[in-house]
Amino acid sequence: MKRVFQHPPELPTGKKYWRSLGEYRNTPEFREWLEREFPAGASELNGDEEWSRRDFMKLMGASMALAGLGLTSCRRPEMHLVPFTKSAEWTIPGKFLYYATAMPRRTGAIPLIATTVDGRPVKLEGNPLRPASAGSTDVFAQASVLDLYDPARSRRFVNNGKDSNRAEFEAYIDKLRGQLDGGDGLAFLVEEVHSPTRERLRADLEKAFPKMMWCVYDAGLSEAQGFATSTGFGENVRLVPRFDRADVVFALDSDFLDCGEGDLAGARAFTNRRRVKSANDTMNRLYVVENRFTITGAMADHRVSTPASQIPAFAAALASKIADLTKDSGLTSLLGAIKWPMEGGEESDDQWLNEAANDLVEKSSASIVLAGQHQPVVTQLFAYAINSALKNIGRTVIVREFPRNKNNRSILQLADRINKGEIKQLFIFGGDPVYNAPRAVAQDAENKTPLDWGDLQKRVPEVLRLGYHEDATSAMGRWHVPMAHYLESWGDALTSDGDYLAIQPMILPLFGGLSEIELMNALLGRPKVEGPELVQETFRATKPSGDFATAWSKFLRDGFAAHVPTHDRPASFNSGAAGTVAQELWAAPPAPTTDSPEIVFVRSYAMDDGRYANNAWLQEMPDPITKLTWDNAAIMSPAMAKSLSVETGDLIQISIDEVVKESSDQSVRRELVIAAYVSPGHADNSITIPLGYGRKKTGPLADESGFNAYLLRTAANPHFAVADQKNIEAVRVTKVGKKYPLACTQDHWSIEGRGVVRETTLEGYKEDNNFVEKCAGIDEPQKVLPSLYSHPPMEAAQQWGMNVDLNICTGCSACVIACQAENNIPIVGKLQVQHGRAMHWLRIDRYYASEKKFDEDNGEYPEDPEMVHQPMMCQHCENAPCETVCPVNATIHSEDGLNVMAYNRCVGTRYCANNCPFKVRRFNFFDYNQRPIGKKKIAGEFGIYREYIAPFTEKGAPDITKMQKNPNVTVRMRGVMEKCTFCVQRIEEAKIAAHVRAGASGDNLKIPRDSFTSACAQACPHEAITFGDIKDPESKVSKIKEQDRNYRLLEYLNVKTRMSYLGRIRNPNPKMPDADSIGVACSEEKEKA
Amino acid sequence: MANFFPRWTNWLPLQMAVAGILIACGLTAATWYYVTPKYTKVGYEPVQPVPFPHDIHVTQLGMDCRYCHSFVEVAAQSNVPNTQTCMNCHTQVQKDNPKLEPVRQSWNSGKPVEWVWLHRTVDYVYYDHSAHVNRGVSCFSCHGDVNHMPVVSIAKPHSMAWCLECHRRPENFLRPQDQVFNLDWKPEDVKPAEFVAKYGQPQGVTEDWSKKKHLTQQEIGQTLKERWHIAPSQNCQTCHR
Repeated sequence: MKRVFQHPPELPTGKKYWRSLGEYRNTPEFREWLEREFPAGASELNGDEEWSRRDFMKLMGASMALAGLGLTSCRRPEMHLVPFTKSAEWTIPGKFLYYATAMPRRTGAIPLIATTVDGRPVKLEGNPLRPASAGSTDVFAQASVLDLYDPARSRRFVNNGKDSNRAEFEAYIDKLRGQLDGGDGLAFLVEEVHSPTRERLRADLEKAFPKMMWCVYDAGLSEAQGFATSTGFGENVRLVPRFDRADVVFALDSDFLDCGEGDLAGARAFTNRRRVKSANDTMNRLYVVENRFTITGAMADHRVSTPASQIPAFAAALASKIADLTKDSGLTSLLGAIKWPMEGGEESDDQWLNEAANDLVEKSSASIVLAGQHQPVVTQLFAYAINSALKNIGRTVIVREFPRNKNNRSILQLADRINKGEIKQLFIFGGDPVYNAPRAVAQDAENKTPLDWGDLQKRVPEVLRLGYHEDATSAMGRWHVPMAHYLESWGDALTSDGDYLAIQPMILPLFGGLSEIELMNALLGRPKVEGPELVQETFRATKPSGDFATAWSKFLRDGFAAHVPTHDRPASFNSGAAGTVAQELWAAPPAPTTDSPEIVFVRSYAMDDGRYANNAWLQEMPDPITKLTWDNAAIMSPAMAKSLSVETGDLIQISIDEVVKESSDQSVRRELVIAAYVSPGHADNSITIPLGYGRKKTGPLADESGFNAYLLRTAANPHFAVADQKNIEAVRVTKVGKKYPLACTQDHWSIEGRGVVRETTLEGYKEDNNFVEKCAGIDEPQKVLPSLYSHPPMEAAQQWGMNVDLNICTGCSACVIACQAENNIPIVGKLQVQHGRAMHWLRIDRYYASEKKFDEDNGEYPEDPEMVHQPMMCQHCENAPCETVCPVNATIHSEDGLNVMAYNRCVGTRYCANNCPFKVRRFNFFDYNQRPIGKKKIAGEFGIYREYIAPFTEKGAPDITKMQKNPNVTVRMRGVMEKCTFCVQRIEEAKIAAHVRAGASGDNLKIPRDSFTSACAQACPHEAITFGDIKDPESKVSKIKEQDRNYRLLEYLNVKTRMSYLGRIRNPNPKMPDADSIGVACSEEKEKA
Repeated sequence: MANFFPRWTNWLPLQMAVAGILIACGLTAATWYYVTPKYTKVGYEPVQPVPFPHDIHVTQLGMDCRYCHSFVEVAAQSNVPNTQTCMNCHTQVQKDNPKLEPVRQSWNSGKPVEWVWLHRTVDYVYYDHSAHVNRGVSCFSCHGDVNHMPVVSIAKPHSMAWCLECHRRPENFLRPQDQVFNLDWKPEDVKPAEFVAKYGQPQGVTEDWSKKKHLTQQEIGQTLKERWHIAPSQNCQTCHR
């Protein structure tokens, strides 16, 4: 029988999937990386950064001698069992307890279920009881449990740089209250959390101190959008998109699928409309216009990359097409206000725009146009006006009441008053304004130089900071008060669509921290609270029906209050007011050029605005788009990079010259040296820099990673800087001539183009339901092949399998972090990631897909490639190649179809990793859990990585880090192979529970259908991952695997994987000019063959 | 030329070879015997902060295991009692016994008593009490006759091979569910007629066991194993996660 062992070479024509430009060009560097037997071995123990083999031998010799001395005894270590003194209610040692709580976020809180064991929270899941979000979480919610156990978090009260304590602080507050004269000179700088209790206490504070100032600043929050909403729809409202009703979605620089910006319920509603069950189903269609690849852009059916500064004009062009089609008077008047059309509109995109506009108009009242919150006010107004013209308001865009206090001030107004010397006492809750406030936030009255927040904060006599870390902001204040984590404090919050959630503590504050509401309560001079009294008072005001105690405990149990209704307003768009505003604010945006590109500042997918900078999991999480870890970079298009003659990793200097207002002879130059990163699909003449890195004085991890882009971000241009606009004279980018080592995982674990991604269009799917069977180069899939290897019989009553729907996966990486949290996966540090030793059991392979043949000599670059994400973990092959090569039987097959690892048997030959066709096995090269990692100067001038001199470093993780570990999963040691286990601890727990239920009877020993799932499947905000019993035809996963889009990887190897994928489908508009080239990989191959 | 080496050295290589073999065999045998849990673990009897006599409490006073080890049926870990459990009785009984001083101190100070951990499995082994005691495996099978121990010590080797003895042949250890916490139970205690009426007989047994004078452990075990569908897994994942 003919049998294929080698994947045939890719066809010269047709669609090509690639992960990096190196792979696309097949450069020698890429080949070398690929062809190493192991990604990297001990042979890199030399080079500039590290130290030589000889040094290593010397040190190892010395350490051997030390080890001899250290051999203290061979006795059994005496360990103790420490029970409680008194029983704690509900607590059973070693058993999990689950509580509802919520994570406050700037756009709205996320309802969560916290898993606690022996009194410590170890894992967070979404709250499945709340219907809208249905148990979804995101990266930040998953990672926030690690923040609770951050060894660098603030542990003490500080008064003028000296240690203090809570009693002294309370005495100070009592004294201060007497001195506050009606609150004149009192100001608060807080972050957005949407807490009703905080608002209630704030109203009380305003009563006590009527002249106080309350200012909300969040670097990730756009004031433009809030302003545009109140202009268009009135005060105290928020627009809630209803993706479940939208057939066509048009995103203008809006990354609504990123949970940090949008909301989980909305993102889930969007992907639900892409859950295609058969060829007869319909799908929504997504158009995206953006300057950089976002995860929303990766999902797009039609995507255009254009500089962010040009998107207002794009919005106007789209509006004028729609105005032509709908004859909507509001839209026409808005266009009239900005005197559109401008001279010389863009001709080339006409057909694209026309057809997109036609599509939107055809789906009137079932479409949404969204503007990214970082777009200027005018873009927002156009988006609202278009929605109004398309009769979407009230249908797909709900205008929901969302009360806001009208006394909220901005950081600019606060800075102005500080500058005038009017602020005497300043309370800063959270945030880190010295790091993340916009630069040039005020102007010096005398010499007219622009002032940064740090300069201003020094002028306030009494600064009181409630902070999670003792960071740069705390260092410049009088008092620093440790802040309690949200898992340590009582609170409440609203979701982005206005539902009322409870936040209950899982553990007492580890280091005696205070929450915002406790501090406000103290300032009001009210008695100290230990419990939920403050939140209860707010809850009582919502008038729960029936007995209060019952209603309160139901509120805590469910995590949300169903009796608190939300109010929608039948509002209509006020085009008159919008016209006035647009006329005032519209300025023809200058086009950026290669010599003077625009600089765009975006929130990082990993660090957010910098608040997670000391979170190890997030630092090491590969960015969903760039696959960079531990760093940010200046992201640019290949064409832009070529004109600057830089490559990924080259340092570039970005300098922005600004004129200073009211001073003709002064100008300011802001400079940043940053590594470049070349990203296909990025708009030309545009450079994107993620914010949130380079946050000094926060913790060891934050200190060492990335570049601080806030240095370039000014109050006048918070979202993008482009020459000749506002106060900017020039933007220049120059090559520095040095390299910076970036730890990028995009080429790691390459599958080398073996047809692992299958995709088509909705039309193509209708024509050929079995498109997933057609894999480039393989004529006929061979179904039944004999196997030489004998298996243990896989005859257990339940057989486990998994499926990932590529059509729904956005690549957001929540599963990666959930897996890390569940399975005690260590971080390895930047150096080790560079060597290809990242430990993530679940990685997300990001592929670019493009058609054009690359020809470097002619200066051609793959333009506007599509992007596909593919989560890749152990495929649990039934004929597992790893099992046959293990010399010690450490990896074997279980009777329920799992490929299991016995860590205690593994001797670390790494043969299994070498033989795994999916490259999903991970090896503990060092004792990542026990020894410190990362760089530290130890011997003179040598920059020595600590992991290489392990015997000289302190052994053992700090207790606070150990507290997060999942007690049901072994913490692996050096020299052991590991990989995805399908969360075997959850399977076994469920099995044992079934056995205990059956007890001494012959009852059913089966685990109830779909009663548990793996950590990744549970975390996925879109339910793209399904896990369950494939032997049960009624289980979710069996039903999904029956679909015709289901395919398994590398089937010709006869590995029989238990994982399978559902092929990707795009839904291009057939009338669009680029429709032929979208998502056609498989059908194209078919035609060629 | 004179002989450098005396004549007896001719035998040296052989002697060395024989000695080498003997030493190697000796080392192997010594390791076999001394470096296994059977030798290293069994009999471990550390001094506890309070010399808790299981024999008095269980055999003399007739207390059930589950009075102190209260979560053994629902959790993986069989908990040691907290101070409150001790004080339930000892506020009235043996109020002034000096041996109980650590317990009283703990009760007054709120600091727990630190019991020395005997039956500690290594970190990569996940044993679950609830899965065993609910399915006919007695405390006795792993912990021996604790009810007669004045000071508790390790009775069984708790090695992997020892675990597998039962996972391979559970019929050698299973007993009726109501006898799981009766550590003095013997197969002879079973009345065959009652047993067969309640549990029946294994398939393929033609002889009427209810007429027998006694049932053996294997007969009881085999019956229960079939009746309760006991099929202990021998897979790595069962204990190693």
